[in-house]
Amino acid sequence: MTVFVSGGAKICKAGVAQTLAVKPARGGKRYYVATMIPVDEEDRERIRKHVADRNGLGFETIECGADILSCLQYDTNSSFLLDSVTALLQNIMFPPEKNYEMDLDAAEKCAEDVALFAKSVANAVIVSDYIYSDAQRYDESTECYRRCLAKIDRLLAQVSDTVIEVSAGQLIFHKGGLPV
Amino acid sequence: MILIIGGAYQGKLDYAKAAFSLAPEDIFTCTGTEIDFSKPCVNALEEFCYACIQQEMDPIAYVQEHREDWQNSILICNDLSSGVVPIDPVQRQWRHVSGRLCQYLASEARQVSRIFCGLEQRLK
Repeated sequence: MTVFVSGGAKICKAGVAQTLAVKPARGGKRYYVATMIPVDEEDRERIRKHVADRNGLGFETIECGADILSCLQYDTNSSFLLDSVTALLQNIMFPPEKNYEMDLDAAEKCAEDVALFAKSVANAVIVSDYIYSDAQRYDESTECYRRCLAKIDRLLAQVSDTVIEVSAGQLIFHKGGLPV
Repeated sequence: MILIIGGAYQGKLDYAKAAFSLAPEDIFTCTGTEIDFSKPCVNALEEFCYACIQQEMDPIAYVQEHREDWQNSILICNDLSSGVVPIDPVQRQWRHVSGRLCQYLASEARQVSRIFCGLEQRLK
């Protein structure tokens, strides 16, 4: 099954997603799909903290900054935690190797790829960020990024069995229920 | 009146079109300080608020004056309530009046729906 998790910053999305991803794996494998490409010490510190949080939960880490379909070479009969679509889209839409120049075609393809990934594995928990409720007039590329992320979010919400918004560590169910 | 709120790009208009069988000609999209309430659906009320702020007009007073005109309408507004208080006074005022307008409309509405990633959450 596919579970989509979103919400604001620092509200325990990762913690909730980890718990949900551990549940269905039982004896099976658990993969953590790490999407962040660290660029500085602050990023590395965040990663260290997340790695420590996952310690003992039995996740094998797959480093995947861009091509999500490359994860399908692993045992697809497993539980995959993808954290996060936000970072994945950022890497794809503003590729570091192309001097962060915006690539809209790649952003379009990202939505389809993530949905295909979700469909191709036994269990997927996918984390995104709700960045749509502020009163800012952003520059065109930021606005484009929000639009593309929302498109992915909506597609994932559509194909997921369960859609959860996290608020202060609490779960708001917009679709489906807890994985059994 | 039915009020539909939610963040940007969440599919508020798509929800309204599907739920109430709206055709393109049924929808008025706000861009300035006037609203055509003869259309069954008024979209982007936050843009109406923004235009009013720029013209130093009071959008809530305008909506209240036209109260009879939107009793059977479907009204759609972006939720701008999160994030940092904007430094720019126009954007700050924009957030303030959009929030107050939604409060007023929600109190008047017979149904309030929040759209999250394309999915409806019934608030009232």
